[in-house]
Amino acid sequence: MIDWQYSESIESPEIVSIKKKYSNYIGGKFVEPKSKKYINTISPSTEELLSKVPLSNEQDINSAVKAGKEGLEVWSKLTPNQRSRYLFKIARLIQERSREFAVLESIDGGKPIKESRDFDLPQVAANFFYFAGWADKLDLSWATKSLKPYGVVGQIIPWNFPLLMLAWKIAPALATGNAVVLKPAETTPLTALLFAEICEQAGLPPGVVNIVTGDGSTGSLIVNHKDINKIAFTGSTQVGKLIQKSLAGRDVGLTLELGGKAANIVYEDAAIDQAVEGVVNGIFFNQGHVCCAGSRLLLQESIHDQFVKKLEKRMQSLRVGNPLDKNTDIGAINSKEQLDKITGLVNEGVEDGGELFQTQCELPGNGFWFRPTLFTNVQPSYSIAREEIFGPVLTTLTFRTPEEAVEIANNTEYGLSAGVWTEKGSKILWTADRLDAGVVWANTFNKFDPSSPFGGYKESGFGREGGRHGLLSYLKASS
Amino acid sequence: MIDIKKTYKNYVHGKYVRSESGKTYTKELKNEVYELPLTSKKDIRDAVTSSKDGYKKWSSTTPYLRMQILYRLSEMIEGNKESYVELLMDHGLTKQKAIKDIDESIQNIVWFAGLADKWEQLAGNLNPVSEEYFNISHQNPIGVIFSLSGSDVSLNELLMSILPSLTVGCSVISYSEENSVLALKFAEDINNSDFPSGSLNILTGKFENILNDVSKHVEINLVALHKELGNDGLKAIEQNASESVKRIVSKPSIEGLSSILPYLETKTVWHPKGT
Repeated sequence: MIDWQYSESIESPEIVSIKKKYSNYIGGKFVEPKSKKYINTISPSTEELLSKVPLSNEQDINSAVKAGKEGLEVWSKLTPNQRSRYLFKIARLIQERSREFAVLESIDGGKPIKESRDFDLPQVAANFFYFAGWADKLDLSWATKSLKPYGVVGQIIPWNFPLLMLAWKIAPALATGNAVVLKPAETTPLTALLFAEICEQAGLPPGVVNIVTGDGSTGSLIVNHKDINKIAFTGSTQVGKLIQKSLAGRDVGLTLELGGKAANIVYEDAAIDQAVEGVVNGIFFNQGHVCCAGSRLLLQESIHDQFVKKLEKRMQSLRVGNPLDKNTDIGAINSKEQLDKITGLVNEGVEDGGELFQTQCELPGNGFWFRPTLFTNVQPSYSIAREEIFGPVLTTLTFRTPEEAVEIANNTEYGLSAGVWTEKGSKILWTADRLDAGVVWANTFNKFDPSSPFGGYKESGFGREGGRHGLLSYLKASS
Repeated sequence: MIDIKKTYKNYVHGKYVRSESGKTYTKELKNEVYELPLTSKKDIRDAVTSSKDGYKKWSSTTPYLRMQILYRLSEMIEGNKESYVELLMDHGLTKQKAIKDIDESIQNIVWFAGLADKWEQLAGNLNPVSEEYFNISHQNPIGVIFSLSGSDVSLNELLMSILPSLTVGCSVISYSEENSVLALKFAEDINNSDFPSGSLNILTGKFENILNDVSKHVEINLVALHKELGNDGLKAIEQNASESVKRIVSKPSIEGLSSILPYLETKTVWHPKGT
């Protein structure tokens, strides 16, 4: 008999050199924070201290916005073709240093190297390439000359796809002729600071991209800065609402990419094995730290038992562990705080009466981990069926008719994404038309491309990122 | 012979109704004095209920039919041109300006009528993704719009606060202060043009009375302000709106394709290609 002993395959962290302490990147220079304060960034898979990054205060944000205004002066005087070339150059440099970024992303954020290497980084480069080509074609994009850049844009991004969210924000902003002040998330600042080196390498004019680190207080300083012309935020609906409120009455543009609670609808005539794969990818990709995760599985009643059985079997084969192991499917939960939130909601789900299934796997001793989790026998009123868990937790609901499936799917204040599984084309189109969601994946899930617009309906925010539509988030229509 | 004077009422769900509050406000023109409905919180709630139903009907009307209904509106106004000119002159406009305003109004209705079955082709597209997927971005109307009309007395200005969102399939609650008599007269032509009930409701009154109710109402999807509000007014609206991530547009562009963009939600659908 063959011994199927597991042998690990660890990506070497040697390629990355993490400094003991980092500086902000303002006006083309790495500058120590005037606040003289720092925050620790740790590896969520080992809890080891990795480095310290600035906790930027008002003076730091003032410098960054001032540098942004100066950068804008230079940037707006370049020809569109020159702006395009800078973006192409950045894209190339990212490709060249791709492995270094991927390893750093996995160390700082906890996501499996398989995903940072094969998904995040290729997408990062692709976003810069895609928007590079728009920079000198804006006049063709929406057939109107009334669209102008905002000016200095404040961008606040989350910790789930740190560098990819940076690319989603910076690439279109620069392509449309804006300058940016970007704040990466508190727990995942390192790849953004490494990206600053790319800006330097590309010879980007000083001040066009400014990167400042910090916590929520730093983000709030950016939002409330008097010289900011637009805010682009990706994060929770709760914080998005606060930002919208802070900007009330001010002539500042805003786009919000907020939370979600996507329904993944599986009809009885779906290709079941493919659907199981898709559902697994839909919720367990990136530890479920995905705003568009397919966190509500809607199963047609007739296939419920068969589907759940297959799903549990497939879940059992997911490998949880060291993010740098190339075999790892599910890495570390990003932070202790997030782990506590997931644990709290799952406990609530059990108390409410949900039936819990968790895979039996060994978890590492240190770090933050959560087993792939499935709830069945869930009522739509349970918190686990309503609130965004942002973790590897799937809840299952059932329906009888397509009308009922759509009603349940839309019965949420969110409207970011949805999935539909059926082999019947007309049913896909019928369902997709009726779902209140910015992205509908039919017989697939969690697919992304820089040319494909992404963003939500309702309380999932407004504005789109990616594609021709994504340009509008950084262009102001003047009448 | 004693003159017969028209009583103007709000236009809600295809019917002419008084404010449930019974309250009115006075609008004095050169030759006539009107008592107009002073819209209350309850009136707004009724209008939203109607608009939700109107949205279902209007957004599921085919673009081909929406085009014809909009075109019919231009026919109605053309037929009543003289009475519009008279009313505008009663507001103090010269005859020449009044005629120009109505001509421009008709021209814009015809333009938007023709856009009803084309905007999806202009605002949506296939996306060339790098894998074997069919990927298309198309648009849905955003839903129920509350639109505050501008302060100039002008049918054209009133129309430009309604047409862009109505054309793409939104239902509209149009609210007028200064334009109120004109707006309520315009309701009669809406009523004669085969619009489904609730697709366009027309109310008048003092905006400050209902500002909070409108901006807090979770079933209004977007508030469009075509009038400069004091900073406090805009601030209050936007603060209230943030509670439900409601969209607010202030003095939106009314030019070409950019006029309709705020009223659209982009939906992107993916499907694998394969054998």
